[in-house]
Amino acid sequence: MSPPTFASPNVGQRLFHTCSLTPPISTPLFLILDDATYPCAPSHTQYTEVIAFHYVLSWHTRKVLKRRLSRLVSRGSERIHTGAKRHCFAFTLSSMMAAQDFNFLLATDSYKITHYKQYPPNISKVYSYFECRHKKGGQYNEVVFFGLQYLLKKYLAGRVVTEEKIQEAKVFYQMHFKQSVFDEEGWRKVLEKYDGRLPIRIKAVPEGKIIPRGNVLFTVENTDPDFFWLTNYIETMLLQMWYPITVATISREFKKILAKHLKATSGSLEGLDLKLHDFGYRGVSSQESAALGGAAHLVNFCSTDTVAGLLMAQRYYACPMAGFSIPAAEHSTIISWGKSREKDAFECLLDQFPSGPVAVVSDSYDIFKACKHIWGDKLKERVMERSEDSALIIRPDSGDPAETLIEVIKILEECFGCSQNSVGYKVLPSYLRIIQGDGIDLNSINEILEKLSDEGWSAENVFFGCGSALLQKINRDTLNCAFKCSYVETNGKGMDVYKQPVTDPSKGSKRGRLCLRRNSDGFIETVERGAGKPHEDMLVTVFENGAILQEYTLDEIRKAAQLWEEDVSPSEHNKEDDTSLEIHQKHIINGVH
Amino acid sequence: LESNPTVTHYKQYPPNTSKVYSYFECREKKTEPTKLRKVKYDKTVFYGLQYILHRYLKGQVVTREKIQEAKEVYREHFQDDVFNEKGWNYILEKYNGHLPIEIKAVPEGSVIPRGNVLFTVVSTDPECYWLTNWVETILVQIWYPITVATNSREQKKILAKYLMETSGSLEGLEYKLHDFGYRGVSSQETAGIGASAHLVNFKGTDTVAGICVIKKYYGTKDPVPGFSVPAAEHSTITAWGKDHEKDAFEHIIKQFPSVPVSIVSDSYDIYNACEKIWGEDLRGLIEMRSADAPLVVRPDSGNPLDTVLKVLEILGKKFPLVENSKGYKVLPPYIRVIQGDGVDINTLQEIVEGMKEHRWSIENIAFGSGGALLQKLTRDLLNCSFKCSYVVTNGLGVNVFKDPVADPNKRSKKGRLSLHRTPSGDFVTLEEGKGDLEEYGEDLLHTVFRNGKIVKTYTFDEVRDNAKLKESELEDLLL
Repeated sequence: MSPPTFASPNVGQRLFHTCSLTPPISTPLFLILDDATYPCAPSHTQYTEVIAFHYVLSWHTRKVLKRRLSRLVSRGSERIHTGAKRHCFAFTLSSMMAAQDFNFLLATDSYKITHYKQYPPNISKVYSYFECRHKKGGQYNEVVFFGLQYLLKKYLAGRVVTEEKIQEAKVFYQMHFKQSVFDEEGWRKVLEKYDGRLPIRIKAVPEGKIIPRGNVLFTVENTDPDFFWLTNYIETMLLQMWYPITVATISREFKKILAKHLKATSGSLEGLDLKLHDFGYRGVSSQESAALGGAAHLVNFCSTDTVAGLLMAQRYYACPMAGFSIPAAEHSTIISWGKSREKDAFECLLDQFPSGPVAVVSDSYDIFKACKHIWGDKLKERVMERSEDSALIIRPDSGDPAETLIEVIKILEECFGCSQNSVGYKVLPSYLRIIQGDGIDLNSINEILEKLSDEGWSAENVFFGCGSALLQKINRDTLNCAFKCSYVETNGKGMDVYKQPVTDPSKGSKRGRLCLRRNSDGFIETVERGAGKPHEDMLVTVFENGAILQEYTLDEIRKAAQLWEEDVSPSEHNKEDDTSLEIHQKHIINGVH
Repeated sequence: LESNPTVTHYKQYPPNTSKVYSYFECREKKTEPTKLRKVKYDKTVFYGLQYILHRYLKGQVVTREKIQEAKEVYREHFQDDVFNEKGWNYILEKYNGHLPIEIKAVPEGSVIPRGNVLFTVVSTDPECYWLTNWVETILVQIWYPITVATNSREQKKILAKYLMETSGSLEGLEYKLHDFGYRGVSSQETAGIGASAHLVNFKGTDTVAGICVIKKYYGTKDPVPGFSVPAAEHSTITAWGKDHEKDAFEHIIKQFPSVPVSIVSDSYDIYNACEKIWGEDLRGLIEMRSADAPLVVRPDSGNPLDTVLKVLEILGKKFPLVENSKGYKVLPPYIRVIQGDGVDINTLQEIVEGMKEHRWSIENIAFGSGGALLQKLTRDLLNCSFKCSYVVTNGLGVNVFKDPVADPNKRSKKGRLSLHRTPSGDFVTLEEGKGDLEEYGEDLLHTVFRNGKIVKTYTFDEVRDNAKLKESELEDLLL
């Protein structure tokens, strides 16, 4: 079986030759087709479409490539344009997980290996779906759909089955089950019939969309009756979607709280994107989770220290630089000066970073003394020399977050004074801000912001940093994520299937083929049992037979996930002066149209 | 690839700093109301450093290209030139891109009381003092395998106690807690790390990625360190249609006649399935199965303890029970139960306690745990922290520490550290370089990494051996 044919043959070869790159002998050059990586030996130039080039080359060569790609773009080839635009940043750092090492056949729950034997005879289709189940009294009513594109590109697209991988899996499962249960023939058929690409169709909500709980978010089905067992084979991997969805959703809940307080205490939403900084890198369970979670936070904010998330946004969501940070101290850089020289450590930081903002952790010994005697006295002049663009940002790091913050801000007011903003709240001088990065979660952030506004302080004064509450203290049950089979075809006949355990009705599943639509009242709903109309369906085919059919950029996703007007000023929602213009604006903010 | 703050730290240390020394510990939380927490986790299993070293730190990790890339990324990211290009070029030129640091650690698998040093990191070149804390972000992620291994071991203790009390032996203990966590973790890499950490204590897993990590980064004398059995999921039952649950069950047990097979039986009504389908319709087929190939019935919803007891009760009426030597009820060897829903360390304790009260032997049951085993954990559970404790400035060593007034638990250790055993067998961390004196005996921290090379490795068999339940622990459990 040859690779699928594409509209314009030899584009890959042409592009390759146009760039006329000669890789250094020691560094291999790769060609990425459908996101599978191939060593670019002469025999591979037969591949007909280049989605991207992946270089492990010198920086100079990359620059040349960038220039050449952009020249090709200017020649007006749309196909190349897409490829180049999407991926010209994709050849940055070496892979965090070696994709070549990854064996798709070993990326599932063991018991899935045995399922092909368990379905009814003559079954030809298995259709399953993913949802965040609705739970009565649940904390989060809507979710942000994010992360599928990463999983597809990284693990599912292209030629994921090879003879070597089949052999490896066969030996592996023989030992693992102490018997032979592995469906070697079935997998070889994927290899022979589809050149190792998965005969699967995935339809999904566009990434970034805000969808109420309890609705279908994506569906999976086999496209060839021989491979009915494949649909749920990939459940394990696809269910890990719970993680980016949950992080993006939680991060957006943070944003709602911050937006509400910022609007109320400053009159605008300026700086909202930088209010919640991702401190979670060290507190997550792996580098890959850091990347995925970090990127999910960047759907809502532009502020992060989790560099892995930036790289993921570059590589998988075509965003050259999705987030920003500022120089910051950690305890070691302060305490290494010795306890009696905290002032010298602080001063060194001001000297080293004169032009941009700088954050300084100030609780190594006593945060209150540090604010009062060091910042507010010994280094007062130095602090006052700074400007809005090079603010000193003081970071407490222990104690009760709300109480500590209030006390710190009061001390700073005594030492540096404050002014009133247009809505009557107090603001520290613009060269001075605070970042609270310890003990922050959805509850404490709200409590802190309320206390601040009770005491007359604007939310402009503070930034927040959040680590594990953002990236780690969540699980699949936070949003009740589930993947269930809802439809099968046996002996050529379709049947709606479901589970409905008497011991827990909330675990019941949807039935039949599903369609997600906006009904005439404007609400999003799932139509079950194949009754949905195709033209209404919000689910888009993103993956079919090994190829990715639809991609989203982080910019598009950010737009779709924007806050709604009613999220920002819920109290105004019931006011009578709701003019049609405002309603129109709401829809724009909604990203509905 | 590093957490941001460390990018700018090279500028922040005192002038003439030539060495930075940091350490990792699972802090003891002295002020915590221990009564609130059922499990105290007073000892931790040290595991997972070898993976991080192999995967991210060994060999030539710095290249000209990476420096350029990082420079670009950080310039955009900070909107400023703050990246320490000179420092990295020095490492590239002088060490061919190998990291000039030394890491000393306790042996993997060691079970160490909280509050002791577990590993130390120190720069080996005065020019590269800033590197110690550069590697912090990646090294602190070791909280995860440590926490999974520790929590899994605590569950093993619970199971050991009740299995012994209700059956008189520990047979099958290693298969009592099966890893169901693959789908519930945050990434493929996490699945690999977490599942391998569970396998330090047990041998049953469905998270294939864990076995791959062990094979690649540790190695075992057995071909694989973890095993599984054929099992049904809801889709393979519900695909038959609601009226054909019995047909689905029958088909599946016939497909796997000579090995254990687990069948999820709550798609519609677990009690009906146990009473009517397993207990009547298919009873003959089940009775033909052997002790090596039991049917394992799997409930998957409801209150875990209540459901387990009711399932056992129903099965106990349909199949002939025997009483074991300790006087507890045991189902015939061809039928068993696995509870894989809602299992965490607390419910596990409740279920085995409840079974014991109702005179059921733990032989009847195995457990599966997913989210609680691999995901519902954070760095705070064991208060994992990495802190600087010693620096050399102007040629003079200084012991440093943090000690915030607002939270005494966050106080860090001082100076150079070493770990020792006292004559009575307790572990003790000596601060301020005191461990140098011979009278305290051997330092239990061994150099595992130096200047880009891994100098000591452990096989997974050694890890398991270090972490196994000690006789003395078993005695304490059975008191």
